[in-house]
Amino acid sequence: MATHQLNGQIGTDPNFTPTTHTGHSRKHVKASHDHPKMKLAAEEQEIYDGKKGDVLQKAIKTVVAYGELFGAEKLVDLGGAPHLAVSWGSDGVEPLLKIYKQLAEAGLKTYAPFTADPKPMDPVHLPVTDQEQAAVDKIYNRMDELAELNMKLGMRSKKDWSCACYLPEMGNTPNRGDNLAWSESSAINYVNSVIGARTNRNSMGVDMLCDILGKAPQFGLLTDEGRQAVWLIEVKTTKLPHPEMIGSAIGFKCMEDVPYITGMDRFISGIDEQSSGYLKDLGAATASNGALGLDHMEGVTPEAVDKGRDLLNEGYQTYVIDDAELDRIYKTYPNLWKDKQGTPQRVFLGCPHMSYRQMTDWGTRIVDAMKKAGKDKVGVPTYMFGSQYVKDAFETKNPEVAKKLKGYGVSIPINCPMMWCSTPVEGAELVATNSNKTRVYTTARFFFDDALTELIVTGKLPANVA
Amino acid sequence: MAKATFKGRPAVPGNVEGSVEVSHIGFNTCATYVDVLIAGSDSGVCQDHDNQDLFGHDLADKIVCIPQTIGSSSAATLFMIILDKGIAPKAMLFANHIDSLAACGILMGDNWLGKRIVTVDLLGDDFLDAVTTGDKVKVHEDGTIEVG
Repeated sequence: MATHQLNGQIGTDPNFTPTTHTGHSRKHVKASHDHPKMKLAAEEQEIYDGKKGDVLQKAIKTVVAYGELFGAEKLVDLGGAPHLAVSWGSDGVEPLLKIYKQLAEAGLKTYAPFTADPKPMDPVHLPVTDQEQAAVDKIYNRMDELAELNMKLGMRSKKDWSCACYLPEMGNTPNRGDNLAWSESSAINYVNSVIGARTNRNSMGVDMLCDILGKAPQFGLLTDEGRQAVWLIEVKTTKLPHPEMIGSAIGFKCMEDVPYITGMDRFISGIDEQSSGYLKDLGAATASNGALGLDHMEGVTPEAVDKGRDLLNEGYQTYVIDDAELDRIYKTYPNLWKDKQGTPQRVFLGCPHMSYRQMTDWGTRIVDAMKKAGKDKVGVPTYMFGSQYVKDAFETKNPEVAKKLKGYGVSIPINCPMMWCSTPVEGAELVATNSNKTRVYTTARFFFDDALTELIVTGKLPANVA
Repeated sequence: MAKATFKGRPAVPGNVEGSVEVSHIGFNTCATYVDVLIAGSDSGVCQDHDNQDLFGHDLADKIVCIPQTIGSSSAATLFMIILDKGIAPKAMLFANHIDSLAACGILMGDNWLGKRIVTVDLLGDDFLDAVTTGDKVKVHEDGTIEVG
């Protein structure tokens, strides 16, 4: 059995950064400052005083204490719909399951039907050996319990597991200005930046409690001042930078401070089907190499379009990103494969889950490359990860491409590639990926699209990147 | 008379006293309790081999002094697990601002398990220079820390 990778390396902080993890720096706060208590509305006070039952009372007491630690002075109503990051049922999350059980037994549900992050495994589209499956079953021994509790607490349906819940096919898409209490870092960055909804980076547990109450403490990214930028990022690359690389660079530099990015409107004219996938991946990279919950992009993202450089706070710092800087960042990525020069065993595409457009583009790219090479089987097992909804849409609208991909041996799993790689029995496989997030949290190696395409077709990496 | 006194923010207030365990680097909750998470261990001994200040030290019922917690998002549930198992520190003293993972875990333990880790943050960088593992400290509910 492979060695596990759980020695502090998974989760929101694989780089061990000294941040608050809320997406809002509190470096300026001192003990001597005023730390106001939250002012509750009458109905909230009733819950706090236990007049609506002890379970709701525990929920609001936790949420209020949590908010006060980060400077919240009141609770705000939530809009849109919840999305929860807990998607694996194991003994490690037993305390949360116990809380979920108490909430369910009290007959409570979230304020709107919710979606959740993808499950760790997909035995249909990404199967493992019987021996490995037995080990996996032991690790994720509470999956059925979690799924059952989720349904009782308001999960939208049994197929609503995806980190990219905001994509139109899945439809958990908040409106601009909606307050949310989400906890999936990549989704948080997307809805804050690309949609203009408002959510802090919440911890697992607090997200569910907020969603049961339909309220969240107002601090950080739920406030106008918390959404102001303190970094000016000047992009001076000669072409549209790879989203994973520029996101990675910004994450390393800004950690959890909000950046205002300029120079990208030379390449991106607004939010559309193509750019939304790009921004999804860029944001996920900022949230995995750093802890960013929001980035503004001049001329592109909604708040930057409306407010422009008024979003920049006085005294901001500047970071210039050019081709050389991105090259420098790429060269810092370590090779964590057990056999550093080994032949990749799998190719994982899409973390966060692919959009419909990304799946179509990658599917077409693979088909074209296979045709050109005269091949009928991929050189290495290849997986394009997406939600059940995106998968269905792709297969329905592109039946010929989907059929060819299946014939070549390309699968479309609906689970989380990152968790799959982090599951102890899988940890030592040599995985090649196009995702910086998967790279950061696992031993997978990141490669650019051309290299991955050659790998998929031939089973070998190009000599210049191997 | 106390050797030194510090005033922080009582994040989860309480009055406790005892001997301290001091880490000068970020406290990696997941790595510290990795055997609790993976193997169901009932031990509060720090397993984080990257933390030479605490590695091998039993932190159960101790007062743990740290800059901040770092690492996996599993930290919140881990705080609840160690509280449930009775192997948690009695107090956590943060030189910096508490992070959301520790805050969430400690507050959920407090409110849902009825078990408290007294927590004080914002004690300042000097605090960790003033305490040494084995020192006796008193934690007051207003966030005052008396060392020695």
